[in-house]
Amino acid sequence: MSRWLKLYAVLIFTFLHLPLLALAVFSFNSSRFTLWEGFSLAWYKALFSDPQLSEAALNSLLVAVAATSLAVSAGTLCAYGLWKRRSGLVEGGLYLSLATPEIVMGISLLAFYQGLFRFLDVRLGMHTVILAHVTFSIAYVVFVVMARLRTLDPALEEAAMDLGATELEAFWRVTVPSLTPGVAAAALLVFTLSFDDYVITSLVAGVDSETLPMVIYAMARRGTNPVVNAVSTLVVVLLGAFILAAERLRRA
Amino acid sequence: MTRRTFLLSTPALAAACARDRRPRLNVFNWSNYVAPGTIPGFEREFGVRVRYAVYESNEEMLAKLLAGNSGWDVVFPTNSMIRPMLENGLLAELNHAGLPNLRHLDSEFRAPGWDPNLTWCVPYMWGATGILYNRSLAPPPRGWADLWNAGLRGRITMLDDQAEVLGACLKKLGWSLNATDPSQIEQAKREALTLKPLLRAYLNAEVRDQVVAGDVLAAQLWATTALQAMAASPSLDFVYPDEGFPLYADNAVILRESQRGELAHAFLNYLLRPEVAAEVVRATHTATANASARALLPDPVRSHPVLFPPPDVLSRGEWFQSMPVAAQRLRDRVWTEIKAA
Amino acid sequence: MTRLRTLFLAPASTLLVVLVLCPTIVVCLYSLLTRGAYGGLGPPWTAESYLRLFDPLYLKLLARSLWLAVVSTGLCLLLGFPLALFISRAGRRKQVFLLLVILPFWTSLLVRIYAWMFLLRDTGLINTLLMSLGLTSEPLPLLYNDGAVILGLVYGHLPFTVLPIYAALERLDRSVIEASADLGARPLSTLWRVILPMSMPGIQAGGLLVFIPCLGAYLIPDLMGGGKSIMIGNLIQNQFTTARDWPFGAAVSLLLMALVLPLALLMLRGKPGRLA
Repeated sequence: MSRWLKLYAVLIFTFLHLPLLALAVFSFNSSRFTLWEGFSLAWYKALFSDPQLSEAALNSLLVAVAATSLAVSAGTLCAYGLWKRRSGLVEGGLYLSLATPEIVMGISLLAFYQGLFRFLDVRLGMHTVILAHVTFSIAYVVFVVMARLRTLDPALEEAAMDLGATELEAFWRVTVPSLTPGVAAAALLVFTLSFDDYVITSLVAGVDSETLPMVIYAMARRGTNPVVNAVSTLVVVLLGAFILAAERLRRA
Repeated sequence: MTRRTFLLSTPALAAACARDRRPRLNVFNWSNYVAPGTIPGFEREFGVRVRYAVYESNEEMLAKLLAGNSGWDVVFPTNSMIRPMLENGLLAELNHAGLPNLRHLDSEFRAPGWDPNLTWCVPYMWGATGILYNRSLAPPPRGWADLWNAGLRGRITMLDDQAEVLGACLKKLGWSLNATDPSQIEQAKREALTLKPLLRAYLNAEVRDQVVAGDVLAAQLWATTALQAMAASPSLDFVYPDEGFPLYADNAVILRESQRGELAHAFLNYLLRPEVAAEVVRATHTATANASARALLPDPVRSHPVLFPPPDVLSRGEWFQSMPVAAQRLRDRVWTEIKAA
Repeated sequence: MTRLRTLFLAPASTLLVVLVLCPTIVVCLYSLLTRGAYGGLGPPWTAESYLRLFDPLYLKLLARSLWLAVVSTGLCLLLGFPLALFISRAGRRKQVFLLLVILPFWTSLLVRIYAWMFLLRDTGLINTLLMSLGLTSEPLPLLYNDGAVILGLVYGHLPFTVLPIYAALERLDRSVIEASADLGARPLSTLWRVILPMSMPGIQAGGLLVFIPCLGAYLIPDLMGGGKSIMIGNLIQNQFTTARDWPFGAAVSLLLMALVLPLALLMLRGKPGRLA
């Protein structure tokens, strides 16, 4: 049976990776059609000289960095608080944000923002996108950090406090250093989620806050455009590297 | 991304954020509706930066604008959208003193039915909807009814536009595009539902590439998009359906929420310049509402039968009109039902 | 102690209240209002949107979404189990294989869908290959139908079954399996009667982890179904954008939540906090 299993595994891994590999290979195709006509970096050059793409990529980066910082800070603190004593209400809220389908979260945030606009003179923009990203990613941070916390010995903090440290000091000097790999892993995770998000972002983005997935989506809808192949390959390589790093850190 | 790395990179990010200091204008337009040089030309001459984004359908545009805080300055709604936008308080009144180039407009568009005094909009481009088809189809389609052909299953598309799809069905049944009678609308819905299984998809300008590639054999499409496709492939042709077809005009408007009224007026005036409008026609294969621009065009373009159809063809056309509230509601609901089926 | 803890919980709790709870309340309120003439909202308060849900048209859409989600989940489980089995027997290279499974999943979903479109469309790679090999004379309609949507859903969610099943297999008591072999059962028989039942919790977890996102899927049916194979997620998006019927869209969202939440609770009942 193990022979069949091996064969099966090969097939499934091919299935999982073939589309992306095909995309990557054809991003170097000199022709815009699916007949291989020669190696070329033309699409990558077009990619880097497209102002809309560059701006969208910058926006995606800014949003991801901001969302990551906010989500990681709030989430780590929250995980620590929950580690000390569980709270059904907070955990319930976190589960709710995880279980909510993306489209529902997107439209509820949009509805909420539109409702707010009647009272405050605010527009959809980078801030609305960043807040939305923090909302859907904070649960991931909490659970990843909590998993890490569970491997720690609470006695260490108690020992520190017995030796005269305040709660805050004990937290900062004893627990946080051991949490660093978990926090870093969570940060990379949030970055990836945020950078890649389309559904929620497309609903709450404003005039100035077009992100890379939004541009990719528009290009994908419009039909064959080899620049999308190039962009996609780059995005995959970037996010793949991040995820590898996250996995390394998580196991550290 | 450790905390230290983030802190160290903040100055770099801040520097990247300190972008352009030039005045800004946000323009939201249909895709492929300006020439490559139109926007850069305006930016250079007026020393501004234009954020230019595109949409594919009126509904998409309206949905973004309805909340009233969208951030756009200039938009290009179709004539049937002018009254709804007006009633929702979205439009800013135009100051004709800032639009001296209005005199270049074709006489027909100087006092159009949807805005007799041009208080709210400036007609930009006009067009009609018909059928773009591959010459390999025999016999070639002559009217909307020819789309309801089982032999074309999977190779036809219709526009992702409620007014267009219902319009085509109503015309096929021999009624007006702008029917408000619920029984007529319901019947049109039934027609659309019989056609839906034969459709590949509801697509707007996106279908152009697929028709050129030969994947799609017949598409309900705007004349301008069709012409763009025909320029890319010699095996395509366009027909204005026998039963009648919609006429529409896209107009430039300034949104009330815009705080750059003066610059917006300058932009509209710029678009009205004959040479600018003529260049747009050459690049986009659209019919312009600008008479002086039309005069600038070379003869083959000026009298192209698809771009500027002759009077006997035009007489079969019917202008889209905005709907009374109850009829609009019914049509919106019917459209959801068609899409969800 | 409690003051510090409350302080620590504050940012996240505020976020949850403002950006999760309030929007949900807003959506509930919207579902009870009436649509304005061209969109927007206004009084009167009415339950009309909910009543519209019972229209056979939408019930059929719901049934179709459930069906697509069930089929996709079934396929994911069917395909995922043997793979999980393989990985659990892979010895030293387990981590590598797990990474190979996770890696494509965590890179952009949009890109992966586009990659499939690139392969499946009429002028895509598969059709080009088939035609150049002379196997077909016309391009096969591989995209823009239910099959493509199922393919997309399975492809997008396969790791969700592999990981829990793998975790369950890892926790199996080897001695039971050995005992089964000692008692003369053939490998296939052991698989069917011993391993499979004992890994049920993993299978259940995997099933729910796939079913819930599939039910609420939006991007995959949108891009791979060509706007014709629409599911609940698409209907919701449509109502909030082009159809401009916010009350109805809100009602459909709440319906989706009502379906998804009990399932999510079911899943979490088994493993509190065990998500990372």
